[in-house]
Amino acid sequence: MTDTIVSYLAKFGPFKDLLEFLTESYGANGPTLFAFLIFLVGVIIIVTILSTIGGLGTYAERKISADMQLRMGPNRVGPYGILQFLADGVKMLMKEDIVPKDVDRLLFFIAPMLALTGVFGTLAVIPFSSGFTLTDLNVGVVYLIGISSLVGLAIFLGGYASNSKWSMLGGMRGASQIISYEIPIVLSILAVVLLSGGLSFGVITRAQGGWPHEWFIFHNPFTFIGFFVLFIGSLAETNRAPFDLPEAESELVSGYHTEFTGMRFAFFALAEYIEVFVVCGVTAALFLGGYQVPFNLGGDTIWGQLLQLGAFFSKTLALYYFVIVIRWTLPRLRVDQLMTMCWKYLIPIALFNLVGAGVWMWLFKGKSLFVLLFKSGTAAAGIH
Amino acid sequence: MFDLTLFFISAVLTVIGAIMVITTKDLMHACIYLLASFLGMAGLYLTLGADFVAAIQLLVYVGGVVILMVFAVMLTGGPHAQKQNKFGMIKTALMGNIRTYTIGGLTAVVVLLMMVKLYISIFKNYTAGELPNYLPTVERIGKSLITDHVLAFEISSVLLLGALIGAAIIARPRKNRIN
Repeated sequence: MTDTIVSYLAKFGPFKDLLEFLTESYGANGPTLFAFLIFLVGVIIIVTILSTIGGLGTYAERKISADMQLRMGPNRVGPYGILQFLADGVKMLMKEDIVPKDVDRLLFFIAPMLALTGVFGTLAVIPFSSGFTLTDLNVGVVYLIGISSLVGLAIFLGGYASNSKWSMLGGMRGASQIISYEIPIVLSILAVVLLSGGLSFGVITRAQGGWPHEWFIFHNPFTFIGFFVLFIGSLAETNRAPFDLPEAESELVSGYHTEFTGMRFAFFALAEYIEVFVVCGVTAALFLGGYQVPFNLGGDTIWGQLLQLGAFFSKTLALYYFVIVIRWTLPRLRVDQLMTMCWKYLIPIALFNLVGAGVWMWLFKGKSLFVLLFKSGTAAAGIH
Repeated sequence: MFDLTLFFISAVLTVIGAIMVITTKDLMHACIYLLASFLGMAGLYLTLGADFVAAIQLLVYVGGVVILMVFAVMLTGGPHAQKQNKFGMIKTALMGNIRTYTIGGLTAVVVLLMMVKLYISIFKNYTAGELPNYLPTVERIGKSLITDHVLAFEISSVLLLGALIGAAIIARPRKNRIN
């Protein structure tokens, strides 16, 4: 059975009693309804928190870029300007909702929704901690890759529906870029799946440990390269610089969301920032040990869960910081350079990694480089 | 109860999406309705406990096929191209000639007869069954793919390789075009 937030909560006494009471009084439908309610509450909490993180992402972006360019950044709304994203949100809501005359109305309305659906759909399988995962699907990785491709479709439809040349070019670039970069991403994820022997994020995370030498990034040379392939690919997936060609301001005004105003634009922007968080979280879960805490401190209790949440969020937000720093450091690539990089460099490297990881598994029976190097020492110290 | 709700939502999504695909006049809209239909199909697979098939449905059809269709529609001129003929009259979509209609009609009749034959036996001895308990399918599918069905697996990989090489040959710039 897959682990869910409900199955975690059911380990505690009061919840167990409540479930038994519901089963007695309402039959099998009672616990189902209860589980549905817990999922509802969990979904609302996670979506709210992640939207706040997405909003704070815009703030962090402006503050970090200001830091790198010796400016102040937003500093008027709230302490250190931290409420700037709320002010922006209110501004977005108050804006006039302009729908250009010749747009394809259905697609124009549905595109921002699809972008947000694709991103929020991925949140179902993100392993925040061993207990507070909405659901640990045993096909979690496949589900995540599948549902997140809705964002690419939304970007393309947004560009197409706007009936504007700039949007169209931006949408085309976005879709071709996302389709191309999915291949190296999936190939480098497959290497990790090969090592851990499972498609669920729970299995993959549990196959790693709390210490850096137990993470998959340092497992063998191939996964070390694979991490960077995945990271570069996910930068391109989320249309972040240096791969932000779909919204290249200098050429395409604002790319696929040129014609979108108000909340529709905010949906696209929010989807982008949450997707960056999701991608960083997935990278952290696959390669950086996810929610694993050294010594498994706290275990299954609430405090252990909080520690795990802390571990997951600190890893993810560190990656988030790097993504933002990269944006303000590197210049933008050209379209042909982008495609060359994906098809001529990243995909061969990722294929090589996949085969290499398989050979490593066969040669060394899945032992990590650290274990092989310090075998006797680790055995004596009792760490493995 | 939850399964039933999921089933009805998915079924409505699938059927209405499929109906809208064939009734809408805009090719791009048809792609979106097809997306809804595919999502409903994934939900239907889930109600049957086939989690891996549902995830692959999401990955291949929602993530791949719909995007490819949208691309193809756009690259071939879009839905608004050549709606009028040279006299300025709006063309009606004929989509074929007498031969294609004959072949299509015959195929439809044959398929219909086959389905009737199948469904009659199902309706005659119909007993409401219970779904077996949910078991993860990934491991079993993987095992049977590399043991019992390894031939099908290999043949499909050869097919994909052929498609890849064919695409590369079609997309390759021709060397002898010097004008």
